[in-house]
Amino acid sequence: MGAFIIRRLLSTLLVMGLVGVFIFLLLHLSPGDPAAIIAGDNATPAQIEAIRTSLGLNDPLHVQFGRWAMRVLSGDLGISIFSNVPVATLIAQRVWPTLSLAFTTIVLAVTLALAAGVLAAWKAGSLADRLVMILSVVGFSVPVFVVGYLLIYVFAISLRWLPVQGYSPLAEGFWPWASHLILPSTALGLAYVALIARITRTAMLDVLAEDYMRTARAKGVATGPMLFKHALKSAGVPIVTVVGIGIALLIGGVVITETVFNLPGIGRLVVDAISKRDYPIIQGVILLFSGVYVIINLLVDLSYTLLDPRIRY
Amino acid sequence: MTRRATTSRRSFLKTGLAASAAVAAPGRLTAQSAPGATKTIRAVMHGDLTVLDPIWTTANMSAYHGAMLYDTLFGIDANLDTKPQMVSKWGASDDKKTWTFELRDGLKFSDGSAVTSDDVIASLRRWAARDGAGQHMMQRVADIAKKDDKTFQFVLKEPYGYLVDALGKTSTPLCYIMRKKEAETNPMEKITAYVGSGPFLFNEAETRQGVRYVYDRNPNYLPRSEPASGLAGGKVAKVDRVIFENMADSQTALAALQAGEIDFYETPPIDLIGQLEGDSNLTLEVLNKTGNIGWLRMNFLHPPFNNVDARRAMLYLLDQEDFMKATFGNPKFYKKCPSNFGCGVPMENDANTGWFKEAPSQAKAKEYLQKSGYKGEPIVLMQATNIDFMRNAADLVAGALRSIGANVQVASSDWGGVVNRRAVKAPPEQGGWNLFITWADGNAVSNPIALAGHAATGEKAWFGWPSDGKNEELRDKWAVAGSLQEKQQIARELQENAWNFVPHVWLGQWVAPTARRKNLTGMLAVPGVVPFWNAQKA
Repeated sequence: MGAFIIRRLLSTLLVMGLVGVFIFLLLHLSPGDPAAIIAGDNATPAQIEAIRTSLGLNDPLHVQFGRWAMRVLSGDLGISIFSNVPVATLIAQRVWPTLSLAFTTIVLAVTLALAAGVLAAWKAGSLADRLVMILSVVGFSVPVFVVGYLLIYVFAISLRWLPVQGYSPLAEGFWPWASHLILPSTALGLAYVALIARITRTAMLDVLAEDYMRTARAKGVATGPMLFKHALKSAGVPIVTVVGIGIALLIGGVVITETVFNLPGIGRLVVDAISKRDYPIIQGVILLFSGVYVIINLLVDLSYTLLDPRIRY
Repeated sequence: MTRRATTSRRSFLKTGLAASAAVAAPGRLTAQSAPGATKTIRAVMHGDLTVLDPIWTTANMSAYHGAMLYDTLFGIDANLDTKPQMVSKWGASDDKKTWTFELRDGLKFSDGSAVTSDDVIASLRRWAARDGAGQHMMQRVADIAKKDDKTFQFVLKEPYGYLVDALGKTSTPLCYIMRKKEAETNPMEKITAYVGSGPFLFNEAETRQGVRYVYDRNPNYLPRSEPASGLAGGKVAKVDRVIFENMADSQTALAALQAGEIDFYETPPIDLIGQLEGDSNLTLEVLNKTGNIGWLRMNFLHPPFNNVDARRAMLYLLDQEDFMKATFGNPKFYKKCPSNFGCGVPMENDANTGWFKEAPSQAKAKEYLQKSGYKGEPIVLMQATNIDFMRNAADLVAGALRSIGANVQVASSDWGGVVNRRAVKAPPEQGGWNLFITWADGNAVSNPIALAGHAATGEKAWFGWPSDGKNEELRDKWAVAGSLQEKQQIARELQENAWNFVPHVWLGQWVAPTARRKNLTGMLAVPGVVPFWNAQKA
């Protein structure tokens, strides 16, 4: 197990290195000039050229890459070419809204989806099952921004129950924190509820058809423990896999959700950076995302050993 | 016996609470007391404030930021007249070659230090190194000398009538006065400390780059005694705090305004104005009366637009009404304007606008295009697809050109891609271009010196690189002119010449209403920046 973890952690470094090279080349070879954006529209070509030179953007690509790579290897993600603020500081400022959104979305999605999936499997073919499946299709089909705007219109503008946008740290009170996350988490979580509920239903149907479940029922095990203690645990491996994929996919989802609900998270940071061509921020955030992605996959793999004792690394 | 790891309800709750505490911790560290809601204005402006040095960039958001914390020597009032701001007295020698300026008594920076001539001179030099009008001015300046702590002199090589107007202009970058310490920063590098003598000070501790920018009332600011008017008069901060919230999504900003989470939205989408007009809690008002002017830029370096007849063809081909209607819909927000300096401004005139009465005329446009020797080579039109006006206008230009037999290739990208490619001077088939569309601030357009695009200095000019010696002579003459009447006469000559050599084609002039909560009053109408002094909340 220890060797497996070390091997996987080392592979993380390799993946991050490859992502770093790829994203650097992608950014610098694609159209867009941060110097022109910084200079503003009324700037002359000479002024833009002066800014480009001062930012080192006229240096050969390999020189620019070497400069960035050396900084990253020494633990420095660089400095935003627009704001002069270190990328690590910007990420640190933005990480908590994103973590809050991801945390509440996953909690909401897993809680609702497990309940819905187990219910659908237990009552397979019933009205409840069909309802869960219809809602799953809807959850998959409607884009997060459409759900977001609908939720804002109903709950923030018409009913005035919840705020439209923004983020309030938990330190300023639980309700302000939660109230700013309910709508975005619901909008973002809907697709994950749909995904996890469907997988849960399928996995549970397989397990419920097993002989040992029939035996448990025959021995008089109550429905609750039978479903949640015995069946759900046995069906856990595919569900955990999907939850893990879901967490990784959240990285893409938060970008849109943070924009629609004006959450000052990492998603907004990277979108703004892309529109401005703020290379150090984009490179730093993507590098971070790639590391998070690999580590989530590692954690998912490790969780298999808890759910199924037959799995060993 | 081995103990199996299980997840109980209790351990789940513990883990959840621990995670919540971890998420909350940074917020606890940053939470601070803030002024009450009626003393705070939350505003969503047209974009993010990416550069905090308002001299280093021509970006409008940086000019807005600058207007909050820096003051200017002169400022334009609501009638676009230049008035003294930091200056108390000024005057010129009889030969108009020496100008003496005296600062008002008691001017201080927000750190409490006095504003002196040293600060002003250093600021002027840095601004002039970055600004087109400043560079134009400095060509005529022999020296800027300190007389005493409050007095400084411009010694000119020749009379320069535009001097005071240049110091008070609102086209970017504005001539903001900084401390000497920051003003001595290399003009090619950004300043890193933001201390001004304006009505607000920059609260860096509460500011989150890309999220919100916080300005607190500057207790050291000394406003003029006259009533506030544009960028002139008494800049009295009537609220304790102004926050520029950065919201990327216009629909979200609109919803936030309707829900009362923000007080001011600078650029609500035009197509949603009807919805806002029906909201009794909101007020719509045009603050920038000169608005913006749509702009078709042609590349003078390559065929067919290196030929004046091809450029003339564009004058006759395009109908401003089409461009305005396609994006702005409601005629109360736009107008057609043939003047090279925009409409509703002192330099507006009707010299050499016969083409405007005939346009659109496909026959005339076709005739001129043929006369130019155009032989069907591809015309590369850059289209920014992420900006409504630019996308729509490019479609219209492409359609109009095709209707007279031109071979148009639309090169679509985001605005960043256009900005990148427009700097390429190579022929279109080697990565260059023939046409692109943008817009300019109406007040900047009204000034032959302030707008970089009015220069026709060939390869040194703004993108498109127009070249015309007479245009440059007349611009110089305009800058030297002493009276408004004289300037207006030269503006006529400039326009007469411009519509002969056709440096660009304007696509119509529009204004954009701002939206605000009804309890926010006192917003001042002025082009170039959005002032928040004088504004208050009930």
